[in-house]
Amino acid sequence: MNEAVLHAEVLVLGGGPGGYSAAFRAADLGKQVVLIERFPVLGGVCLNVGCIPSKALLHAAQIIHEVDEFEAHGINYGKPTLDLPKIKAWKESITKTLNEGLAGLVKQRKVTLIQGTGQFTSPDTLAVQTETGVTTIRFDQAIIAVGSHPTKIPIFPHDDPRLWDSTDALELKEVPKKLLVVGGGIIGLEMATAYHALGSEISVVELMDQIIPGCDKDLITPLFRRIKKQYKKIWLETRVKSIESHEEGLKVFFEGKGAPESEMFDAVLVAVGRRPNGKLISAELAGINVDEQGFIAVDKQQRTNVPHIFAIGDVVGNPMLAHKAVHEGKVAAEVIAGLKSEFDALTIPSVAYTDPEVTWMGLTENQAKQQGIEYDKAVFPWAASGRSLCLGRKEGLTKILCEKETGRLLGAGMVGPNAGELISEAVLALEMGADAEDISLTIHPHPTLAETFGFAAEMITGTITDLYIKK
Amino acid sequence: MTVLIEIKVPDVGNVAEIDVVEVLIQAGDIVTLEQTLATLETDKASMDLPSSVSGTIQQVYIKPGDKVSEGSLIATVLASTDQAVSPAVPEAVVLPVVAPIVEQRPEPIQTPVIAVTEVAIIESDPSSRKAHASPSVRLFARELGVDVAKIKTGSGRKARILKEDVIKFVKKVMAAGVVASGAGIPSIPAVDFTPYGETETLKLSKIKRLTGQNLSRVWLNLPMVTYHDEADITDLEAFRTSLNAEKLKGEVKITGLMFIIKALVAAMQQFPSFNASLSADGESLILKKYFNIGIAVDTPNGLVVPVLRNANTKTINELALELAEKSEKARLGKLLPADMQGGCLTISSLGGIGGMAFTPIVNAPEVAILGVTRAKMQPVWNGTEFVPRLMLPLDLTYDHRVIDGAEGAKFMALLKQNLSDIRRLLL
Repeated sequence: MNEAVLHAEVLVLGGGPGGYSAAFRAADLGKQVVLIERFPVLGGVCLNVGCIPSKALLHAAQIIHEVDEFEAHGINYGKPTLDLPKIKAWKESITKTLNEGLAGLVKQRKVTLIQGTGQFTSPDTLAVQTETGVTTIRFDQAIIAVGSHPTKIPIFPHDDPRLWDSTDALELKEVPKKLLVVGGGIIGLEMATAYHALGSEISVVELMDQIIPGCDKDLITPLFRRIKKQYKKIWLETRVKSIESHEEGLKVFFEGKGAPESEMFDAVLVAVGRRPNGKLISAELAGINVDEQGFIAVDKQQRTNVPHIFAIGDVVGNPMLAHKAVHEGKVAAEVIAGLKSEFDALTIPSVAYTDPEVTWMGLTENQAKQQGIEYDKAVFPWAASGRSLCLGRKEGLTKILCEKETGRLLGAGMVGPNAGELISEAVLALEMGADAEDISLTIHPHPTLAETFGFAAEMITGTITDLYIKK
Repeated sequence: MTVLIEIKVPDVGNVAEIDVVEVLIQAGDIVTLEQTLATLETDKASMDLPSSVSGTIQQVYIKPGDKVSEGSLIATVLASTDQAVSPAVPEAVVLPVVAPIVEQRPEPIQTPVIAVTEVAIIESDPSSRKAHASPSVRLFARELGVDVAKIKTGSGRKARILKEDVIKFVKKVMAAGVVASGAGIPSIPAVDFTPYGETETLKLSKIKRLTGQNLSRVWLNLPMVTYHDEADITDLEAFRTSLNAEKLKGEVKITGLMFIIKALVAAMQQFPSFNASLSADGESLILKKYFNIGIAVDTPNGLVVPVLRNANTKTINELALELAEKSEKARLGKLLPADMQGGCLTISSLGGIGGMAFTPIVNAPEVAILGVTRAKMQPVWNGTEFVPRLMLPLDLTYDHRVIDGAEGAKFMALLKQNLSDIRRLLL
């Protein structure tokens, strides 16, 4: 067998958002780039089995809900009928469009794309198992962007097709009558939102004492209240002990506050987090340190312990978010090209595309308390926002935290329909070092949901007129 | 069946750079096991690199003049799998040149370890969080190596740090750091002496400041060795005294220094590396075909080094006259730059003052300097008895990148011989 040897100035392992961004940036900076992707299409989990297809389903869910809720206000379409194969085809057409777009960008930039699974064989070679054999790539510098995979719980019956991970759930094969979501984090709740709209009876089980752990409780509450009514059950501080496969369904055994001993479900979605893929690439043969969990430690320039090998995205640590990976990918490519880049962002915003959406950035109130930081807080209720009321919704909130002494923005969060679209202004304000006054003096168009951010700042500066706050 | 085998530079001990001297193969060549592929050379040894397999050379990755290191790819060889393939690391046949045989070890995967932050949710550095600067300004600061947190207030709205503030900060730092401190070396902190008593501040002369900068630069750049010895100048001194007795009043007297210059030039003629300079890139030696000797002269304003040109062609009387003139000009501050340029080797004589030995600093780009202190009458064992001999202490400092220890000692031995018996200068 002849082993082909290929040379790459920059080798990028993994074609997800972080990987292709790194490859494109490196190519734009004049590097000869080889990009390795194990699947036939680029875009990774995010584009193919994550962010994008889930947003398609969530949009469908939103339409179903809005139509349903508007019946009370005078528009009645009747009960919707669902054509699952058609919804699925529409969802797939979106990913396909984006896949093709990426393939075009690869060609335009003259990046060499190889489909296959890569394993390091030395600090400067990588063997790619392709359909036709093994290709060895000798690289000057490399960027590892191999991402993560859904955490599997070993004792669960993973060979049972009714036990899903997020990828299975997005395939939209069927709408189970009774769906249990194990894990009340962002991924689990987004899937719950979609399947609830499609007609499943949803139960959620979460180990911690709140859904979306890590987010401030006041921002979660409006979501929690709404889904508590919509869903069959939400069990907090509850653990799934075991799952048994039965012909009539999956029998799930619980342990915790208020949960039954066991209950039968037609499908169970396990969304208890993701594990980094650092252990799957023979990193040790390149001398790269990979920790127990599979994470690869990097410095601010995304450099691993091996100076000419970089790592980005999910495999270097939490939060496992595409926008973090993209930013890191560009940093790695720029450092390789000799620019003095480093990961210097002050915050990585988070968004849960639930209904209502929940989003936050910068310091959370929990963190401020833990770190003993003195802050001023303002929470503007969307019940006072004309725009929100026109959407038929009033549960939303916009919260900001500012440094007590200087008024400088420390953190912000929103909950409400389209909240995810509002957080960017807060991120920009944080990066620019804006204080409450800067935000309140910035004219926000009326009536928008975005102006609630300005209103919250006005609550801090004491200039708000849209609310009456007793002195 | 054939496989592609990579032949790499084996572990040759802790050597960062190995020169490729000769490459004996090209693509398409058929090589046999143990056939020499290339000759490599380190600063300690040269070695032939044998092939670890038999087969056809597919590609050669090195050429003469390349610098390689352990693990560098030499060539790929297409070999058939049915032959026994020897270990991936070829055994190098080491031909010792100077150093002992380099020990052979299997090649471990060695990668430098750098400090990395722990895997965690990304938390930015609190210092940059404090700085009131936008991302583009932070990038700009980073490009210039400025810690934005050190810029206390900016000139923008609400003291926002702007690009101009970063530029101003850099200018300020540059202006403060311009005084003679070597780049990257921590400067000596300022000390307030007033609590300890009265002080007075004197401005250094320009010569002193420039000399200081030059000496610091040399001190940091040159690995210097100083070698001490003594020359028996009893006969020389007797000759010199008799010569000066013949001189008329007002004629320039001959000093011992003139003989030292002559003896030194004669030694330099036999050891060309002492009459040389290292090229700026440190890759080659520039040998000089002229013999200009610098003489360090102490003046009220500081140290200057007038140069006596073509000392090999001048007589002792001519040299004595020329040095007397130049020393006088130096003391009056009238030396021209041309009078101080073009030196090949410098003599720093403290002969008139005393001392036993000292370690002069090389006047780079020269490669050596000769220090001289006062000659002393000493009892010297001649094999049967102690005899009084006039001994002249000599201190030879040289740039060890150019001159090695044995060469320095041989040079000094010749210099001593020349001074002990100046008849040799005629040879």
